[in-house]
Amino acid sequence: MYELCKVDKKFPGVHALKEVDFFIGRGEIVGLVGENGAGKSTLMKVIYGAYQPDGGTVTIDGKAVRFQNPRQAMEHGIGMVFQEQSLITNLTVMENIFLGFEQQFVKFGVVQWKAMAVAASKQLAKVKLDIDPSTITAQLSFAQRQLVELAKVLTLEERVDGDLVILLDEPTSVLAREEVELLFKLVRDLTSRASFIFVSHRMDEVLELSDRVYVMKDGAVVDVVSQADARIETIQHKMVGRNVDKEYYREQKQKPYRPDQALVKFDRVSVNGKYEDISFDLHRGEVLCLVGTEGSGREAILRTVFGLETPTSGTVSIKGSEIRKFSAQSGVERGVGYVPRERKVEGIVAGMNVYENMTLSQMKNYSSAGVLRIGEEKDLARKWVDRLAIKTPSVFKDCGGLSGGNQQKVVLAKWRSGGSDIILLDHPTRGLDIGAKEDVYDMVREMCDDGVGIILVADTLEEAIGLSHTILVIKDGKAQQVFHGKPGDKPSLYDLVHYMT
Amino acid sequence: MNLERIKPHLPWITLVSLVLIVGIGDSNFLRPHNLISMVADIMPLFIMALGMTLVIFIGGIDLSAQSVANMTTVVATVALPTFGIGAALLCVVAGLAIGAISGFITTKLFVPSFVSTLAMGGVAYSAAQYLSGERALYMDATLRDGAFGWMVGSSFGIPHEIFLGAVLLLGTLFLQSRTTFGRALKAVGAGELAAVASGLSVTRIKVLAFALSGMLAAIAGLLFSVKLSGGSPTLANGFLLPAIVAVLVGGTPLTGGVGGVVNTLIGTLIVAVIRASMLYFEIDATMQQMIFGIILIIAIASTIDRSKLRVVK
Repeated sequence: MYELCKVDKKFPGVHALKEVDFFIGRGEIVGLVGENGAGKSTLMKVIYGAYQPDGGTVTIDGKAVRFQNPRQAMEHGIGMVFQEQSLITNLTVMENIFLGFEQQFVKFGVVQWKAMAVAASKQLAKVKLDIDPSTITAQLSFAQRQLVELAKVLTLEERVDGDLVILLDEPTSVLAREEVELLFKLVRDLTSRASFIFVSHRMDEVLELSDRVYVMKDGAVVDVVSQADARIETIQHKMVGRNVDKEYYREQKQKPYRPDQALVKFDRVSVNGKYEDISFDLHRGEVLCLVGTEGSGREAILRTVFGLETPTSGTVSIKGSEIRKFSAQSGVERGVGYVPRERKVEGIVAGMNVYENMTLSQMKNYSSAGVLRIGEEKDLARKWVDRLAIKTPSVFKDCGGLSGGNQQKVVLAKWRSGGSDIILLDHPTRGLDIGAKEDVYDMVREMCDDGVGIILVADTLEEAIGLSHTILVIKDGKAQQVFHGKPGDKPSLYDLVHYMT
Repeated sequence: MNLERIKPHLPWITLVSLVLIVGIGDSNFLRPHNLISMVADIMPLFIMALGMTLVIFIGGIDLSAQSVANMTTVVATVALPTFGIGAALLCVVAGLAIGAISGFITTKLFVPSFVSTLAMGGVAYSAAQYLSGERALYMDATLRDGAFGWMVGSSFGIPHEIFLGAVLLLGTLFLQSRTTFGRALKAVGAGELAAVASGLSVTRIKVLAFALSGMLAAIAGLLFSVKLSGGSPTLANGFLLPAIVAVLVGGTPLTGGVGGVVNTLIGTLIVAVIRASMLYFEIDATMQQMIFGIILIIAIASTIDRSKLRVVK
């Protein structure tokens, strides 16, 4: 019923969509996969009306349509559930559901709240969410908000004639496994009401849910496979043009750590409201992975090691001495380097060039009495640009203009060049394409060889398992289980998930 | 040529065009003597704007600058008979202290800088009223010349104010481009969270920026007071708006991170030329603040980085 025929889209310097053909039938669930930059986002934006195609046709039930904006697409039954949630958190659930469409509840210029609440409850029932529609959205869990977002899109059912097409952009990225199960069940139930386009980086989930999968690479659809024929490896191969296997995480390069040399010791450490009673040791050459769902306390533990959180009880020792003063500054002095999740905001300073970023944490090594020795800074930066093969025209290039993978390399170079030997990696591969991810994995192994200890919060469970020597599973701020993984003898996904949720 | 590439050059293009326009209209304007005295006259404002630059560079603003300058005109005048040249030290310390307190309130108590500096400006203003007994005070001519004559003298036909301004410009330029403090300022202005995650002591950097702004405002006040040979709690009124205009027109946007003190020199000269051209076009002096208000809005609206700021409150 909804069809794109030879849709083309160009941006200055980029051919984002190359004659893409796309079809979705009534009640169908279609998956859309591809590496970052493969054109998934552009395709979605064309579908929900945010972009207008340069060439090709869009037809609904055989009739050609052209949307100038998302609102027009919505009037034709096309709705989008955003990855970055689009709900306004200080409004009530019902206000969010009918945001922009309150007119139907207005009598004599006044909103009839009761009528809106009744209508909102009806929408919430569609997604099987049993909450009071007058709840403030901020009080809901992330998963609940996702469902409200879906309910909001489902209001299209009443507003438009004809069938609905709903886009789900990475809806599972921050959900726990059981929440994912519930969402999938719901989506399958809802196919009586709508068709779904499901976009995700998690290949197993895409295959589990979708009837058909579109594989994109470099702006073109390179394959369409039905669920029955689909195999993860073949799809990944098509996406990247190469095999992704055990070698991917550089397991063969994993060497034993040195159990006699502890870098960080956590002894029954708690931070009120974040985590409690956490103990672990990090040794030289070890990758310790903290595994848990969003909000389980993983990030807070990293921030404690760095010095940004002060424990309410317990003792933290770094390199044999107990820490009493917690600040980022003293953390850096102790040799702790932090690679934050928000690379563009916390990792690099956009607007500063490569060498300025690289010495930011260690300016005192490159200055005398507060005056910078800029020549030495440049030499350092050139050395590390070579060593890590950072793709930049020069060390004067603004880091904001580098690709994500190269930005990450600059951040790692910043800590490594300053001699940090405790490296905290928070989602170090988030948003990177596969080649750049492999570079990061290589660097992880190299750092271990150099005697660095790494605490990792991984982007995916596979990554956690593939990279770590030790895995600490955390749930609701409490340690659940410890796993040890040697190459070829690693815990399974199921082992971890069992303790996570 | 697209607009983004011209944008960094707009300030000096504006300056040159303005000078040419006014110069063509009034050939006297371009005479060296006239230009030099115009620059000398703008120096107190320039010095205040230098301090303002440091604060705007980290994404803050210092609304206390004018009140601090007002206060130091009074402090200088009152302290001159007792302390002589030591009065200058008193002024500088007072400015530093008020700026540091503003910075402390902003960073430790999380009060936005436009509120903290506005409030501290109120404190400075009251201090000036109290010290002066709400009267205009005058410096004794002999004492003034003895202690501060060097500030307003003239060598090789160039007034000493210009030397003072140049020294402070070079000093702040060195601070901005060659020191760890300057680098840290840039990091805080362009990406505060990354600065925190790199272990920089952001609080100390911010407090220092506000303190320096207070100090430079105090020096501006001192110079102005020496020039006019007196002090009053309202002497420097009318400085704040053009000082902010000078920074923004020069090319340091309110969001911080880019621009700097050289930009502010150009911005200040633009302000000076606009003032001079108003004489030429016979625009009444009472219109000045209105004109600067309008320019301020245009400058912000046209320079602000919209990608950084999606919602304005």
